[in-house]
Amino acid sequence: MVKIPVKILIVDDEKDFVEMFSLRLTRQGETVSAAYSGQEALDLLEKTQIDVVILDIRMPGMDGIETLKKIKAAYPLVEVILLTGHGSTETAVEGMKEGAFDYLMKPADFEDISAKLANAWKRKDEQEERIRKAEARLLLRRSGDI
Amino acid sequence: MEINTLENDTGKVVRVLLVDDEDSFRNAIARRLERRDMVVSQAPDGTSCLEYLGANEADVVVLDMKMPGMSGIETFKAINKYHPGLKVIFLTGNAAVTEGVEGVKAGAFDYLSKPVEIDHLAGKIRQAWELKRLEAARERDKIFRRRLEKRMMHTQRLASLGTMSTGIAHEINNPLAIIKESAGFMRMVLEGPGQIPEKDMLFKGLDKIEKSVDRARRITHQLLGYVQKHSQGLSPVDIRQLSEDTVVLIKQKTQAKKVSVQWDTEPEHQMLMYTDPFQVRQVLINLLENAVDAVQTGGQIRLALYRKDQSVCLEVRDNGSGITPENMKKIFDPFFTTKPNVSENESGTGLGLFVVHKIITGLSGSIRVESEPGHGATFTICLPEWHSD
Repeated sequence: MVKIPVKILIVDDEKDFVEMFSLRLTRQGETVSAAYSGQEALDLLEKTQIDVVILDIRMPGMDGIETLKKIKAAYPLVEVILLTGHGSTETAVEGMKEGAFDYLMKPADFEDISAKLANAWKRKDEQEERIRKAEARLLLRRSGDI
Repeated sequence: MEINTLENDTGKVVRVLLVDDEDSFRNAIARRLERRDMVVSQAPDGTSCLEYLGANEADVVVLDMKMPGMSGIETFKAINKYHPGLKVIFLTGNAAVTEGVEGVKAGAFDYLSKPVEIDHLAGKIRQAWELKRLEAARERDKIFRRRLEKRMMHTQRLASLGTMSTGIAHEINNPLAIIKESAGFMRMVLEGPGQIPEKDMLFKGLDKIEKSVDRARRITHQLLGYVQKHSQGLSPVDIRQLSEDTVVLIKQKTQAKKVSVQWDTEPEHQMLMYTDPFQVRQVLINLLENAVDAVQTGGQIRLALYRKDQSVCLEVRDNGSGITPENMKKIFDPFFTTKPNVSENESGTGLGLFVVHKIITGLSGSIRVESEPGHGATFTICLPEWHSD
């Protein structure tokens, strides 16, 4: 079975968490990048192609929601899953309103994470597919004009 | 006699004890006071006065200063010692005004000199009685306030414990997530193709780690659960519907134990509370689950719904083991549980009722528990009624 790796970016200031989480996802066949702050995440997104960002809500410096807004503004197709270690469901809901795909409460079950990752990736893939088709139609129409 | 006392307790009739060694004087005064709607008892000397007070209630003692045997002052001191709150009016001989003053200094209500003018005496008795009633009311007030303060302190203590424990829960979730991911990763490695000795043992250890993380997570999530989860603000909520929905939610648990959940009396079609449905549902789940845990297999849970002073109250009554008086004081404390290690994933976190208390007070409601050990427990929650204006 050939698995297309999902390109994941994990953003959390808890380095140990990021490390173990990446190891696990990598072993499952995903491509994982890590960032330890909102700014680092934005810098990384500039250089690297990412499908899904897993973003901790509570971080020092630029917090999760702020980071989410910036990611969504610059890369509307990138899906974001929020992680909260703080039971602050309101913040999670606020994040959803800002365009996050879903949220998870820490410590989350890996199965839940995997399922949500797969769904987020599927949504992005479908969206991109639609864009490709729309672009193709546009091209066809143009060529038909000639 | 019983009825008489009851009536007196409501404070309508003044009970006077007349103490004087002159029989004819005493009888005459007693008669005339009785004509003024007082209940008068008599005693010829200090000793019988105290005997009478030992066995009967009185409000005001009218006490002659000069008596054979125990003097007026001595009698007064004994009264003050054994029956504080009782009011004493001294009667002094015409020439012995200073004695009367001494009596008042010692704490008597007042004194009158003989020969007494009956209306004057009756007036003094009524004044003394008023003062006694006032003091009794103040005393009751003080006791009530003290009790209220104690309850407030308890509530405040719970509140600060709540704040602290949510803070801790927050902080613990992060390391828990790391432990969980690490264990998960190790499992992945073990399940991989590599040659690893004593795999079974390692899996066993991992299993314990994962189970313990789940257990810790249940605690932290429950602690955080009451923090305005899904808070949508207050709205009119049909508590009858909400209760019935919640009963359906915990059906698995009730059916597994063959517990019946029924309305005590069919409630009104719709009963509206002004509250937060999500939080109240959490409360109902906790109360119902506790009730299921408390009863034997095949036990009964009865629900009742009624209005009371601008509130709607819901009663959850079980016929289980009940709550002992010493546990009663602690049931709302965090981490207090009577369900230790039933089985690994069913042991109580000791947070259910703590969260219930938290939510209900947060919603300006009240919660009450009644229980007789061996005869079940009744939890009553009351929340503000909704008025459509």
